[in-house]
Amino acid sequence: MLPEKLKSELTAQIARVDHPREMAIDVINALQDHYGYFSDEALAQAADLLGMSPLELDELATFYTFIYREPVGKHVIHVCDSLICWMEGDENLVAHLCDRLGIQMGGTTADGLFTLLPVCCIGYCDRAPAILVDRQVHGPLTIDALDRLIDTLRENHS
Amino acid sequence: MTATYPQVLLKNRKPDRITTLSEYREAGGYEALRRVLTEMDRQEVKTRLADALLLGRGGAGFPAGIKVSTVAEDAPFPRYLVCNADEMEPGTFKDRVFLHAEPHMLIEGMALAAYSIRASHGIIFIRPEYESAAKILEREIGIARGEGLLGERILGSDYDFEIVVHRSGGRYICGEVTAQLNALQGRRPNPKQPPPYATDKGLWGLPTLANNVETLACIPHIVKNGAQWFKDLALTPEAAGTKLFCVSGKVNRPGCYELPLGIKLSEIIETCCGGMKDGATFKACLPGGASTGYLTADHYHIEMDFDSLKKARNRLGTGAVMVFDHHCCMVAATLNLTEFFARESCGWCTPCREGFPYLRDLLWRIENGQGEAGFIPMIKTMCRHLWKSYCAFAPGGVASIESLLMNFEDEVMAHIEGKGCPFKK
Amino acid sequence: MPTLKIDNREINVPAGTKVIEAAERLGIMIPRFCFHPALGSVGACRVCAVAFTEGPVKGIQMSCMIDAQDGMVVSTTDAEAVDFRRHVIEFLMLNHPHDCPVCDEGGHCLLQDLTVAGGHGLRRYRGLKRTHINQDLGPLVQHEMNRCIQCYRCSRYYQEFTGYRDLGVMGIGSRVYFGRSAPGMLESPFAGNLIDICPTGVYTDKPSRYIGRRWDYQRQPSLCIHCSLGCNLTASARYRQVVRHEARPNLEVNGHFICDRGRYGYAYASIADRPRQAMAAGTPGPIVDILAGAREAIQQTVEKHGPGSVAVVVSPRSSLETLAVVKEACGQHGWTGPAAAHTNRQALNRNTAVSCLRPELAVSLAADTEAHDVLVIGADPLNEAPMLALSLRQVQRRGGHVIVIDPRGVQLPFDFDHWAVHPSAMGAILQALIQEIGGHRATAPDTPATFDITKLARRLNASPRPVVVCGTDILTPHEIALAGDLARALRRTHKVAGLFYTLAGANAFAAALLHDQPVSTEAVLDRIEDGGVRLLVAVEQDLWREFPDRKRLQAALKRLDHLVVLDYVDSPLNREAGHFIPTQPLYESGGHWINQEGRLQAASPVMAGGEPIEITGGSDHPPRVFDRRIPGDEPLAAWRAVAALAGEDEADPAPQLKTALADFHPAVNLSTPEATGQRIDLEAIAHDLVESGPAPEPAEDDAPADAVVLLLVDWTFGTEPLSAMAPALTRMEAAPVARLHPDEIARLGLAEGRPVTVSLNGNRLTVPVQADPRMAAGVMAVPRHHLLEWQVFGETRVIVKRSQLKAESE
Repeated sequence: MLPEKLKSELTAQIARVDHPREMAIDVINALQDHYGYFSDEALAQAADLLGMSPLELDELATFYTFIYREPVGKHVIHVCDSLICWMEGDENLVAHLCDRLGIQMGGTTADGLFTLLPVCCIGYCDRAPAILVDRQVHGPLTIDALDRLIDTLRENHS
Repeated sequence: MTATYPQVLLKNRKPDRITTLSEYREAGGYEALRRVLTEMDRQEVKTRLADALLLGRGGAGFPAGIKVSTVAEDAPFPRYLVCNADEMEPGTFKDRVFLHAEPHMLIEGMALAAYSIRASHGIIFIRPEYESAAKILEREIGIARGEGLLGERILGSDYDFEIVVHRSGGRYICGEVTAQLNALQGRRPNPKQPPPYATDKGLWGLPTLANNVETLACIPHIVKNGAQWFKDLALTPEAAGTKLFCVSGKVNRPGCYELPLGIKLSEIIETCCGGMKDGATFKACLPGGASTGYLTADHYHIEMDFDSLKKARNRLGTGAVMVFDHHCCMVAATLNLTEFFARESCGWCTPCREGFPYLRDLLWRIENGQGEAGFIPMIKTMCRHLWKSYCAFAPGGVASIESLLMNFEDEVMAHIEGKGCPFKK
Repeated sequence: MPTLKIDNREINVPAGTKVIEAAERLGIMIPRFCFHPALGSVGACRVCAVAFTEGPVKGIQMSCMIDAQDGMVVSTTDAEAVDFRRHVIEFLMLNHPHDCPVCDEGGHCLLQDLTVAGGHGLRRYRGLKRTHINQDLGPLVQHEMNRCIQCYRCSRYYQEFTGYRDLGVMGIGSRVYFGRSAPGMLESPFAGNLIDICPTGVYTDKPSRYIGRRWDYQRQPSLCIHCSLGCNLTASARYRQVVRHEARPNLEVNGHFICDRGRYGYAYASIADRPRQAMAAGTPGPIVDILAGAREAIQQTVEKHGPGSVAVVVSPRSSLETLAVVKEACGQHGWTGPAAAHTNRQALNRNTAVSCLRPELAVSLAADTEAHDVLVIGADPLNEAPMLALSLRQVQRRGGHVIVIDPRGVQLPFDFDHWAVHPSAMGAILQALIQEIGGHRATAPDTPATFDITKLARRLNASPRPVVVCGTDILTPHEIALAGDLARALRRTHKVAGLFYTLAGANAFAAALLHDQPVSTEAVLDRIEDGGVRLLVAVEQDLWREFPDRKRLQAALKRLDHLVVLDYVDSPLNREAGHFIPTQPLYESGGHWINQEGRLQAASPVMAGGEPIEITGGSDHPPRVFDRRIPGDEPLAAWRAVAALAGEDEADPAPQLKTALADFHPAVNLSTPEATGQRIDLEAIAHDLVESGPAPEPAEDDAPADAVVLLLVDWTFGTEPLSAMAPALTRMEAAPVARLHPDEIARLGLAEGRPVTVSLNGNRLTVPVQADPRMAAGVMAVPRHHLLEWQVFGETRVIVKRSQLKAESE
């Protein structure tokens, strides 16, 4: 269920713009933040708020990298695999993460804490290899720094 | 290291924070806007932009002065100004550095550009990875509004202009202006071939001017200091202004540097970036992001400006210099780039949507010992055909592949004949 | 008019013609996937690339994206263009499953054709194929996404052309997926066209799945008879069974599409309980004997009671041939009728519309799409004549404006204005509009202030091309005539002003030409009740299903000496008949129909007839019985049966038909083949019928304040009697409900979701109540649904007092 407060906030935001559709990504992001991912329920609610059909929303939601239509972990780790990060060894980071978290690329840990996904160049080539965790960038990363980062994220939840 | 060259956009860059509004104003910021609103007319702004030969800094290098003047005088209202802060070109991070340094320079540049076409709505389209910049912009826009520099009756004039920040859902194609306009309207961000042109019928069918962050940031300086001053900033006679170069890869000091257009590639690498990492040898670089071709050691001293690169059958692109040393496998690098384009193709037209996965498959086979000599003509033909795609995405995407075959065919053949990558032990 | 050269041949085309279309005019078919004449150019598939060698455009370009211009020299055979097109096809085949042997599109697949024609024969790609999961899109359309070549025709057609928003494109890159957000029934009643426009087998016809290849079918040009628009279609039959309809492009009528009612309504022609056996009092017999028996019964009745004691009713759905022979028979023998409408109001409505349709005002369905402003009066397009809604959608897409004045909760797949006014206010509004358009200030009728008549009149007056669309179901003849007057008033100030009526029945226009003074079944029943008519011949007119007072009908039938029924559908009426003669549906008889704009169109016979092999063989191999005759081949074309009843024994009916058609009406000329497909001579129709008949106006003005008007109405699915027999469409039907405005439900003390019983003249109808806030106050709309015994009140528009409504507890 969408909290009344969030719903009324979004309704007010939509009312302020000339065309509700232009708010589509913002509304999707807000509901995704609330539900953890852009669920079918969120899709229906977003469609309702924006006066769009669920399909029209899905046409957008399935296009973008940072909209998750399937459940993801509490922390989504996006490892940049474009040219510079690749040159600087992103494959080692991925191998280490898979090993450490016990999942494959695209998987989510059993405790629901982490999801591992690739991402195209995130614009931090001067800090390669870089990753995004919950839209925050970390880089340049060594295996040690990556371990410390995972430890910190885990500790925050225990 | 760069002290020898005049700094314009990054002059007041702080190591870890933005230039505040008061600092920006102390350094002469918003002076151009004040002068324009009180002393100059619209046409003057347009004239200066045209005279300054400011070329778009987002990658295509289209003359900004011409673009501004294509918004017809009698076009309908409201009119829109879109700032493209969707810096998605691999290797490019100049806008990120700039936005974390000088948000007000962009705001002022947007206000000036908007004023010149009488736009009332400004939108900054920003990639989700730059959330920190989006937050800075929203905060500083609020501050500017509080100071009467945005909003209604700017600086006491009769000019109203608002800016909002629009966060993208994150896709490379959103950097393409027509795709971006679709995205802004809550539609799938497929490109749309003109006509109509955005300056005629853009957002919601209304005139829309779209420019890159860096392009807009140049405007206050051009307005304030004049076209000639701007032209004189460049080292080569045809070029004008400085450029934010972002250098990455196998150099000692990767980063974003403001340098005059026309500076030699060798100077960027050696002087600014402290030379090649670990004393390795320069093998090649991409001069302007993933959509440009490889420049080899033959062009090590090339003058980095739009014209010189065009003459070398390449492009300045976004000025993102990605440097490879002699340990790098160019097939593997090209495979990586092709993977990027295969993943980011919007799926609208056939050659791009299907061609990149096909090319990726062929390159993967070459890199992994399954290559055949017959692949090379296949790849060449396919690349030629990908130029006939719907938008500029695919021609950009095949630039690296075409230049791989042009400059490194021996290396490709070594993969095929040796049944594997010679760079892997 | 630019002149250009394509493959060394010069052609002159109108400005704005794309090069791909210019080439087509020369007979050069440039390959295409995304381009479709109804959807336009988007340049996505890139397979229409050609070389521009001279002129204003140079190089390899997409011929669908470039306007033909003077001096262009185009080569479709240029080596680079050919090589590029071959590559595009190779690209499209990378992920294709190569499942042509089991694909229903196989054999008429554009992808197959172009793959072969384009020269892509050897597979070079060695990578894995990406695969998709298919969706259940409902009973009509089968989905197989792996065959997709991403031409975007489906999403563009579905969203842009039809205005529905539940099918589109998801994902990105080589993984784009065309379908719904979640599996489920497609919402658009035009979804079946996806099958026709998809250039490969992503969307195939579900009911005819695996039944055959196109070349296995008997395919003929046919017509849709499930409403009055006369959409063109191609009907296919296999093993003596009609298995499929496809849209047949006719740019003057239905464009490239048809609705799903028309596409899937054919099953009645082949179902197991279709009567194929002639009967005398329930006993089967050879058809010649039964015909002779019926003829004798008629002769005896005539001898005993005079020729007027024999009456004929005929369906407004019957072919022109049948109507003509029936008319000729009645005229020659002095029989009563033919009646080709149920009630007096319906008969007058129809004839009023036809008489008001002056040639300078008539517009076609296709021409409707070019209107700038359309005023729809008393019509519910999506429910009554679905393709009209699709035409109006194009008006709105082109920047035009649609306003609907109708008491029902009219819905259309686009933004339009709806004035939900009470039926009794319609006439006053029309009159006020006519006055305003004529420049006179009208006294505002008693309608809500939001319905600004002055503004609407100004809008219509200022419109470059206004069209008045008028229904003939819920209105009165007076209002129908006013709609004509309105169009005439607009015509005075406009070069083009259109008038477009919808009628009840595929051949209702022809039925209107039977008499100057229309005869209704209602009037025939009066004569039965007063003893004047003793024998009734019902020709393809299923009175049991369609006459709006079943009780009265049953009583009247009992009074008859004799009933003769000719029909191709099963009905309790058939069992009442002294003589029953099975007839052929249009797939067997063929024939001509005149649609609601007066266009004469032909349907070819598709097959010879006979019981489907699926039935005779019990879904297995048919029995190995050797016979010269096809089992179940007795049914005759209705016109032949009528000719046999009216004429001499053993006489050849063909000359009789020829005479009957020639004598039918001066406006209808079948003597030249060119007349078919054209509008008949509207000038030859008397245009003064309107004043001649007394219009039975419902006495709504005298109705008590707490009364409601009950309207029996059409729905897209479930009310049209023939298509309601199609199993594929039953899942598309909504359950019958009485719709009222929510305030009305409260005012009448009813409850949403609960049944209400309407009691009138000793008849009762019980139906669940549904709230519809788009409806006018004081109105209750009930569908003539086949699951509802709606045939109770004698009229389809009646006044119901509050005391006659009772809320049922469950």
